[in-house]
Amino acid sequence: MSALHDLQRGFAAAIFGEDDETLADKVRDGRFPGARLVQIYRNNTFASLTAALEAVYPVVFRLVGEGFFRYAADTYIHAHPSTSGNLHDFGGRFAAFLAAFPPAASLPYLPDVARLEWAYHRVFHAADHPPLPLEELALVPPAQHGQLVFGLHPATRLLESDYPVLRIWQVNQPDAADQPVDLGEGGDRLLVFRHALDIEFKRLSAGELRLLRAFSVERSFAEASAAALEAEAQLDLAEILRQHVQLGTVASFRLDPAFI
Amino acid sequence: MPATPRFPRHPIPARAGIGLRAPHYREVLEQRPPAGWFEVHSENYFGAGGAPLHYLERIREQYPLSLHGVGLSLGSADTLNLAHLEKLRALIARVEPALVSEHLCWSSIGGRYLNDLVPLPYTDEALRHVGARICQAQDFLGRPLLLENVHSYLKYHDSTIPEWDFLAAVAQETGCGILLDINNIYVSAVNHGFDAGGYLRAIPAAAVQELHLAGFSVNRYEDGEILIDSHSARVAAPVWALYRQAVQRLGPVPTLIEWDTDIPPLAVLLEEMHSADAILTEQRHVCVA
Repeated sequence: MSALHDLQRGFAAAIFGEDDETLADKVRDGRFPGARLVQIYRNNTFASLTAALEAVYPVVFRLVGEGFFRYAADTYIHAHPSTSGNLHDFGGRFAAFLAAFPPAASLPYLPDVARLEWAYHRVFHAADHPPLPLEELALVPPAQHGQLVFGLHPATRLLESDYPVLRIWQVNQPDAADQPVDLGEGGDRLLVFRHALDIEFKRLSAGELRLLRAFSVERSFAEASAAALEAEAQLDLAEILRQHVQLGTVASFRLDPAFI
Repeated sequence: MPATPRFPRHPIPARAGIGLRAPHYREVLEQRPPAGWFEVHSENYFGAGGAPLHYLERIREQYPLSLHGVGLSLGSADTLNLAHLEKLRALIARVEPALVSEHLCWSSIGGRYLNDLVPLPYTDEALRHVGARICQAQDFLGRPLLLENVHSYLKYHDSTIPEWDFLAAVAQETGCGILLDINNIYVSAVNHGFDAGGYLRAIPAAAVQELHLAGFSVNRYEDGEILIDSHSARVAAPVWALYRQAVQRLGPVPTLIEWDTDIPPLAVLLEEMHSADAILTEQRHVCVA
């Protein structure tokens, strides 16, 4: 192992509190003891990663309060360190972490609120994409429609929860007045998408969610339709597809080569 | 560079510019403030779409733009993060910046990111290593980078080369430009007790293509103070004095006002920018005389 590698490993181990000794031998005492100087870097790393989580999860922050959030963030940063030089990539496992975090067990809806906030964050930063080329779609012979594989716009996320997460999210916005939410009012099936530059939510029916979810994992239109109709026999497939092409949710298509 | 540019060429002028942050997008587009140019953190636009890119492209149409990376971790002993570099290449192709810069530091090891700018040990080994990686990045991007001197709060026993000589050697050996951060020199000079003027004199003037100015904060202890490069305040008086010294030595160089935490109204940034412009103008007149 090179001296540089050795030093950097020791530095990271000291930042995460795994081993202070290796780095202590490598840092000079200046006007102040080396350990205090290392502590400045430790504080900076944890402060900026906590701030990144706070920026993505403001509703979770508001629901649990500052002290709890900092404790959860600190534990999360140790358990799931950042793996990207882009801070906007950090925090994708926070919902799963909260679901297994014993101190948060009394708030069973919290992980789903975090899932909604992560979906919002990813949709905000997702790539642009042109709308579906309708004139090209019109050239596909009807006999091959079942083999069409539709693709969702990169700036879309689907989310299903047993809790009314959208209402919880809405009443916890910075300008919202305090309002009670009845957890028994039922769950949500949501599409999170971009409309122009704004992030919007659309409530989906059971069949609609199945259809879009099948598209998101590149199922053919025939397979996706079967899954959607199984969930909701009355679903008007043609109308739902038309709506989502118009909204921009469905933004591309190809013909499954297995059938051509 | 793409075959057909989408934007006006807009080189970075030898004037003061402002670090562009999201709270100021609309004001910049609506009021067209007299900023010489703007700089953004590259990673904030890696998403390749939505509001961030929308505003950046609008602003790019009207102002010169520089991309400043904070996450490439050029000094890391890990292999270079090609996925990160690919996103940077795509962003460069999309917004056609006049300058692209990164930091002479490391921020990740073993795939784990500290997302902080950590100083390298200034050794021959680190010089060879970071030099090779800067060359690799420049080859990948097909253009030279500017490398910025970082602030530091500690020193390593391993270091055998003064920081200013290390920076000069990196520029010499890789052909990269230097982005000289005047606040970082001041912060490190106070923290480590070296002469900031001597640092300036050791830097090869021809390599310096950009200067940074920012405000620091102070950690106070019972037995003394440490300056923290927080980018959260106005430029301090001694940093303005050091900046004047830098401009006298280097001539008028594009200068950025950075402010990244507790972001103030745009008007405050414009005031700081005008102060920098006044110093650049003094020097321009000296040059003419």
